[in-house]
Amino acid sequence: MEKNVVKINELVKRYGDLIALDHFSLEIKEGEVFGLLGPNGSGKTTTINCLLSLLAYDKGDIEIFGKKMTPVSYDIKKEIGVIMQNVAVFEELTVYENIDYFCGLYITDKAKRKQCVEEAIKFVGLEDFRKFYPKKLSGGLLRRLNIACGIAHKPKLIILDEPTVAVDPQSRNRILEGIQELNRNGATVIYTSHYMEEVEQICTRIAIMDKGRKVAEGTKDELKRMIKNTETITIEILELPDDIRREISGLPHVYDVRFEDSKLVISCSGGKHNLTRVLDVLQKRELSFGRVYTELPTLNDVFLEITGKALRDKED
Amino acid sequence: MFLHILKYELKNGVRTKDLIIWLMVFPIVLGTFFKIAFGSVYNKTEKFSAIPVAVVEETENPAFRQVLNGIESADEPFLKVTYADRAKAEELLDSGDIEGIISSADKLGLTVKQKGLSQTMLKSFVEQYTLREKIAMDAIQTSPEKAQEIISSLMSGTVSSCREIPLTQGNPDMYIQYFYNLIAMVAMFGCMTGMHVTMQNQANLSALGARNNCSPAPKLVTILACLTGSFILQTVCMLLCVTFLAFVLKVDFGDRLPLVYPAAILGGIMGVSFGFFVGSVSHMSQKTKTAVLMSASMLLCFLSGLMVGDLKGTIAQKAPWFNNINPAAVVSDSFYCLNIDEDYTRFITKLITMAVITVVFIMLGFIISRRKKYASV
Repeated sequence: MEKNVVKINELVKRYGDLIALDHFSLEIKEGEVFGLLGPNGSGKTTTINCLLSLLAYDKGDIEIFGKKMTPVSYDIKKEIGVIMQNVAVFEELTVYENIDYFCGLYITDKAKRKQCVEEAIKFVGLEDFRKFYPKKLSGGLLRRLNIACGIAHKPKLIILDEPTVAVDPQSRNRILEGIQELNRNGATVIYTSHYMEEVEQICTRIAIMDKGRKVAEGTKDELKRMIKNTETITIEILELPDDIRREISGLPHVYDVRFEDSKLVISCSGGKHNLTRVLDVLQKRELSFGRVYTELPTLNDVFLEITGKALRDKED
Repeated sequence: MFLHILKYELKNGVRTKDLIIWLMVFPIVLGTFFKIAFGSVYNKTEKFSAIPVAVVEETENPAFRQVLNGIESADEPFLKVTYADRAKAEELLDSGDIEGIISSADKLGLTVKQKGLSQTMLKSFVEQYTLREKIAMDAIQTSPEKAQEIISSLMSGTVSSCREIPLTQGNPDMYIQYFYNLIAMVAMFGCMTGMHVTMQNQANLSALGARNNCSPAPKLVTILACLTGSFILQTVCMLLCVTFLAFVLKVDFGDRLPLVYPAAILGGIMGVSFGFFVGSVSHMSQKTKTAVLMSASMLLCFLSGLMVGDLKGTIAQKAPWFNNINPAAVVSDSFYCLNIDEDYTRFITKLITMAVITVVFIMLGFIISRRKKYASV
């Protein structure tokens, strides 16, 4: 049986009248890439800060590696690597010096530390930038440095709090591949994000958070099975007479039909050949249409159906 | 661990431009500015003590010549006399080589070409001599037996009418106070390095603080290492500042220069601990804290008379206790004691006060910073 690396039990955190974490519980097994998914303000970062004993919480228990986590649990902290949402490096130290500084807080042996620093630099692809100061690095490279500072000491548990915010696609892919490689090398990973694509791509298990509560938990397939939607058909069409709309709504397995911005969006639950049946209706009435595509449900659909709102703001 | 953190604290500190500007460039620039501004006054003082003047002896006046010889042979002569005939003297005056012509006939006469401090002093000298000569002549006529005594007395009065006697071998010149104030101000700027220590060690103040708090390095060790680094940096800056003023700008600290160093160093360490304490007390952004700290240190400097000289005296009358706990006032007072007092009692008291304030600030800072968890991050 896989060991629990993290166990959070009935955690409650209040900021005045606001409940940031509402009896939040979680178990993360060894070797998992666990995703905490939720919109901004859902309580992801608060969970991480409580987990790291940075934040005082009102109720609940937190165990890491089977031991109660406290601010002076230095033996536990030694095995954790943290990559914060905000880049946390010294502006006046070079790339190498920054990684060496943080690695030195965990590893005192100089030779071992030097090897770890070199490996971390290579891992994040900053070999050509080791003497650069952070202000000379692009946003993506800076994020990579931030990650290197958190993983150089080869931790068993790596916590990444939205590490790809404001990162270009190339750097983002590199970061995600790196996280998967760290996991393959034996690290358990906790990954928070409000980018569902990232979570879908790398996480083996996911918890969806909203308003400080865990609203769903499971693998991505398990989560998708929790909802009614199995397929969404989108058809670009200039107009949609009411009788046709009624006819499509009456087709088998169709449970929702929306027409907005010249797009007909049909949600289906189960069944086969749903697209063929819809196109048959349109062709029979000689309605011309443009692009047609179907999508399998996403985590956003899961979140939408469970909470009644979109996972991400439109600008995200 | 301690040495590892200390090493990087020092590296980070010496590369932080803001700190270098305020702790090194600022005193150099302002000290140089002071030297340029007040140096001209010093130079003029030297010129006053040796005003070039031509003496035209139209009739022989041995008494006057004796007085002039006495003045010129003094340690700090204020006249540089050239004996010449009228034509040559006027030529020297026209060329600007001399400030005036004293003609010695039945009575002294003075010819100058322009108005100024040197000319005023020459006029005063001629008037004094004329007056004293008359007193001497009257005394010789009324009491001939005391003539020599009276003449000696009057002559000494002419050469040096007033002498300031300092209590110490320091430099009690008012201008030196500006340089002492400058050192005190740099010591207070140490608060910026002190604030950096809290910013990078408290999880609720910065991302760096959060990352450091996640590490297995005990908080006491990290804070102590960072504080030690800040103390070392501040000490180096204070040493450089005093050395630059004393040996490059040639500011005269008298024979107590060796004691200026420990006072400046202790003042700097107190400045760092002040910043550490203020940085610890509240949950504000770095920008806000910097603004609060700069305002607080400027206010304390202002109240200690570093900007308006007589304000400290007013506070000493109205609330004397305040000057004893105001860090800026304690630093400037230590220099003042060093400069004015003959013994070291008050100076040592000020050093002890600085040490006590430093310890209090550090302890309070530690008590506040030792929190293990935060209400918000």
